[in-house]
Amino acid sequence: MLSLHPKSFGLSFAGAGVFALATVASSFAIRWVIDNVILPRFDEGEVGVGAVVTGVVMIIGIGVVRAVGVVFRRAFASAGMWQVAETYTNQVVDRLVRQPVSWHRQHADGDLVARAGVDTETTVSVIAPIPFASSTVVMIVVSTIWLFITDVPLGIVAIIVFPLVVVTNVVYERSVSSHYTRAQEQLGVFSAAVHESFEGVQLVKAYGAQARETTRLAVLADDVRASRVEAIGRRSWFDALTDMIPALANIGLVLLGAIRVNSGDVTVGEFSSVIFLFTLLVLPLRLIGYALSELPRSMAAWVRIQAVVTEPVLPDPLDSVGRPEAGLGVVLDGVGFTHAGSAAPVLRDVNLRLAHSTITALVGPTGSGKSTLADLMLGLTAPTTGTVALAAGARSIVLQEAFLVAGTVRENISFGGTPTDDEIWNALHLAAGDEFVRALRDQLDTVVGERGVSLSGGQRQRVALARALVRKPTILVLDDTTSALDPSTEAIILERLRSALDATVVLIASRPSTIALADDVVFMANGKVAAHGTHEHLLRTEAGYREIVEAFESDRAGF
Amino acid sequence: MAVGFSSSVDTDETVISTIRRGLHEAPVLRNGLGLTFLLAAIGSGGRVVVPILIQQAIDNGIGSDGDLTVEGSVDVAFVARLAVIGLVAVLIAGIAFRQASVRLGERSERALYDLRERLIGHIHALSLADHSEERRGGLVARVTSDIETLAQFFQWGGMAWMRNSALMIIVSGVMVAYDPLLAGVSFVVAFPLAFVLRAVQKRLVVAHGEARERNGEMLGAVAEVVSGATTIRAYEAGEHMGGIVREATHRKARQQIRAAWIGAFLFPSGEVFSVFTVSAVIVVGVARGPGGGLTAGAIVGFIFLTYRFLEPIAEFTEIIDQTQTAVAGLRRVLSVLDMPIGPPAASNPVELPAGALEIVVDHLTFSYPNTNIDVLCDIDVVIPAGQQVAMVGSTGSGKTTLGRLIARFTDPNEGAITVGGVDLRDVDPAHLRDRLVVVSQEPFLFNASIAANIGFARPDKTSAEIAAVIADLGATEWIDALAGGLETKVGERGESLSAGERQLIALIRAGLADPDVLILDEATSSVDALTEVRIARALERLSSGRTTIAIAHRLSTAARSDRVLVLAEGVLVEDGHHDELVAANGTYRSLYDDWVSATTV
Repeated sequence: MLSLHPKSFGLSFAGAGVFALATVASSFAIRWVIDNVILPRFDEGEVGVGAVVTGVVMIIGIGVVRAVGVVFRRAFASAGMWQVAETYTNQVVDRLVRQPVSWHRQHADGDLVARAGVDTETTVSVIAPIPFASSTVVMIVVSTIWLFITDVPLGIVAIIVFPLVVVTNVVYERSVSSHYTRAQEQLGVFSAAVHESFEGVQLVKAYGAQARETTRLAVLADDVRASRVEAIGRRSWFDALTDMIPALANIGLVLLGAIRVNSGDVTVGEFSSVIFLFTLLVLPLRLIGYALSELPRSMAAWVRIQAVVTEPVLPDPLDSVGRPEAGLGVVLDGVGFTHAGSAAPVLRDVNLRLAHSTITALVGPTGSGKSTLADLMLGLTAPTTGTVALAAGARSIVLQEAFLVAGTVRENISFGGTPTDDEIWNALHLAAGDEFVRALRDQLDTVVGERGVSLSGGQRQRVALARALVRKPTILVLDDTTSALDPSTEAIILERLRSALDATVVLIASRPSTIALADDVVFMANGKVAAHGTHEHLLRTEAGYREIVEAFESDRAGF
Repeated sequence: MAVGFSSSVDTDETVISTIRRGLHEAPVLRNGLGLTFLLAAIGSGGRVVVPILIQQAIDNGIGSDGDLTVEGSVDVAFVARLAVIGLVAVLIAGIAFRQASVRLGERSERALYDLRERLIGHIHALSLADHSEERRGGLVARVTSDIETLAQFFQWGGMAWMRNSALMIIVSGVMVAYDPLLAGVSFVVAFPLAFVLRAVQKRLVVAHGEARERNGEMLGAVAEVVSGATTIRAYEAGEHMGGIVREATHRKARQQIRAAWIGAFLFPSGEVFSVFTVSAVIVVGVARGPGGGLTAGAIVGFIFLTYRFLEPIAEFTEIIDQTQTAVAGLRRVLSVLDMPIGPPAASNPVELPAGALEIVVDHLTFSYPNTNIDVLCDIDVVIPAGQQVAMVGSTGSGKTTLGRLIARFTDPNEGAITVGGVDLRDVDPAHLRDRLVVVSQEPFLFNASIAANIGFARPDKTSAEIAAVIADLGATEWIDALAGGLETKVGERGESLSAGERQLIALIRAGLADPDVLILDEATSSVDALTEVRIARALERLSSGRTTIAIAHRLSTAARSDRVLVLAEGVLVEDGHHDELVAANGTYRSLYDDWVSATTV
């Protein structure tokens, strides 16, 4: 991770080194001041001005150097950390835009967003303390050596106490982390339940179940609370110990120091500076424990990121698409499709030839394979068997649920392309959306989405349709697009499409009025093309087809 | 009021008033806070034991005879006695500190649990208008992540505030006791630090706020790439969308780094001031010398105390940020508790009469809050008990709103609705839900079994009673055909089932509730034609004998009803039987003609 942005981390480590050495040096300075300024003044009554100035300059100088070291260490560690986070997010996003639709369908949306977002932050959170931790290690090593040089018994105390603090940390992590992990899991369960309950609030209200639901969720919240309290009980011992161990060590040092001073092995200055050094090291030692505790969480997040980033990009289904002979828009030959890991095929032996510049309605009961067929016609999915040939040119799809991005109407329609305003207005006109866009205050520059104007379902649908049309597609799939519009608007739009567009249009439809606007109908049943022909012909020859399209009529007739 | 996405910088007053309000709302936390603080103060006392010990050791044990060059000049026995006293003091302090942490931890977790429970109850009671899709994420966040910022605060920041402020008070006290003059010098030299910290802190808060906003934008951009995968691939717009995310990611990283630089200066400023203060102590102390009753031990002790005095400041700078986050979270939570709840409960509830219920809509006018457009204008209708009524009209006609008003999901601005002769506002809400049920045909299902979803209507009903309702509605055959029967899991939002199957479950659920008034909200999307037939039959059986109001999107429903109410732009324009209205050649006729042409083969 660090090697991704060596410059930042190099500067950070340099700062950390300066910090570590300055910390040890500051205890030297204190010792020097005590031995050469304070004690002479109080024991002998006299001290030279030069010594005082030297001492003060030393203390301030070292303090300032130490502070500069801290600034470098912290700033560059954070800078490096966020640069690494950016790199990881970009790596994940790069996969997200390169993997085909089939890959996306195998992954939950929220999970993928988490990998690009919160997982990258969790992963890098372990980085920031690394320079600090390394400087702590340097400090411990240097001070231990120095303590040994000063006095061997004092050195031995250090050798016992430093590891003791680290061991306390590790023991603590072991005993407490499972409780925090459990609390975190329970929090996840609670959050999901809250989300579900609020999502179903109308139902909850309709049956007067507010009190019941509150009780149910409160039980889950209480699980979180109980685990936390358990963890807090353990942690409080640890916190008390990390406070007490250095204090007790200091008391021991005072006693030991007194004995050593008594025997003349150590000066009062040395004695004080050892204790001073201890004081400075307590905080870093505690933070090391904290950084260690983040390690497993960080590793888990890193693994999740790597899973996405190292997964090979599946072949682009478009690469296996051929070109049909002139005059044809879509040709499917012996096409079968089975989802990965599933035994039951979704499509079986589909042979289909759609002439260019025609409108075809795709009709069939739920689960008959209509959507999969549409995916194949767009080159979004590769067939398991057989071949797909699509006419050259752009392909557009408008889904039942219009997909708009946060941005202006213009950005939503151009969608990476560079159409002129005239072309955009023209597309909006075809989609019967020019009127409402003209009524918006900023017209094409109106920002839509979360932070902008909220459009109605029908308006969103028209913007999405304009996006599909502006690129003058040769293949256009409308997946139940127009069902949210009233039938007369739908008829207007399809009429305009027919006259303005030179494309193979496929409508996934259920409304008889929509079907009637198509030139041809493909009737799907059980993953097969059951019939392909005109609406009238299919009505006469296909009982299943008749049943489906007449359902509305029989409904109207009261069965 | 928006569901609290305040990003403004907090002034001290608003922070304090928010905290005061928070404590007011959490008596569990407030009571006994003084004792917790006292324990934390005793715990902090442990930190001054060592400096005092060193001073005593140097002055009275080691340097007692003033000549340190002579071997054996140290009063080891005295130092040992000191050490024992210090040991006891540290142990007492440690135990007091632990008690303080446990008290604060347990009480804060209890208080947050209470707050969560209240918040959930309150949110469930908010009107449906406050539960729009855009706001749901925000409401969930109030109960989950915002409360979590408070939990985080209490786990680290809360205790840190207590012990650090106690430590500063104790250390200042000891410093003054040692030598008022030196203490004064220390305070004067260290004082400007407060201003430096405030100035930097303010910039840091702003920078962090911006960083969080950039992060939100980045996540939004990533979410678009994920949710729009099909469209993006079909349009080959991957590079384009990827570029947008990369820009958002870069903006976030830049802002985070900017904030990190400010933070990097904040932290060591305490250290710089420590060395200034220590130097001042040395200079003044040495200048005064032993004449003023000052000892070498006192100066050395003082140096240690100065570090102790400024040590909390480094930690303060860390926890101030966390505190700001927690206060912002608390404010968002409080702002939800301040939102008025949906229709308020009746103060003197009146019982509804037994049997079928008549509904009277009496000169009703309704507009949504903060708008002045009447969604419904002077609606006046009497629906006799047991009548089957369909409400029709184009999108935006107000038919859905009228249905919601009759279900009392919200109250009218003017006029009234009575059920069985009782004003809806005088009916106990729980009692009303026993008698009046709303069935959405785009129903919500919990991620549980079919039985659990049906039983949601009346948890006290047995499975035999559920089976009887299923048989009544003619759905036994369908349930039996499912591999898991009634125990079949429906998946998230019921996604393992088809739209039609979900509707069937909603109807059975309503049947179990056995209401006297049924309000049906028809689905706009089409379902499988064959399932449709099964649903229509179940619906017919369910509605027979009950006062039924269908918010109809299909005019076939209207054609079958006893009576049709036609709404246009919030006004009741036609009222009569289907046949009459078709003959009248008005609004209904044109709606019906459109429908027929759309559904004719």
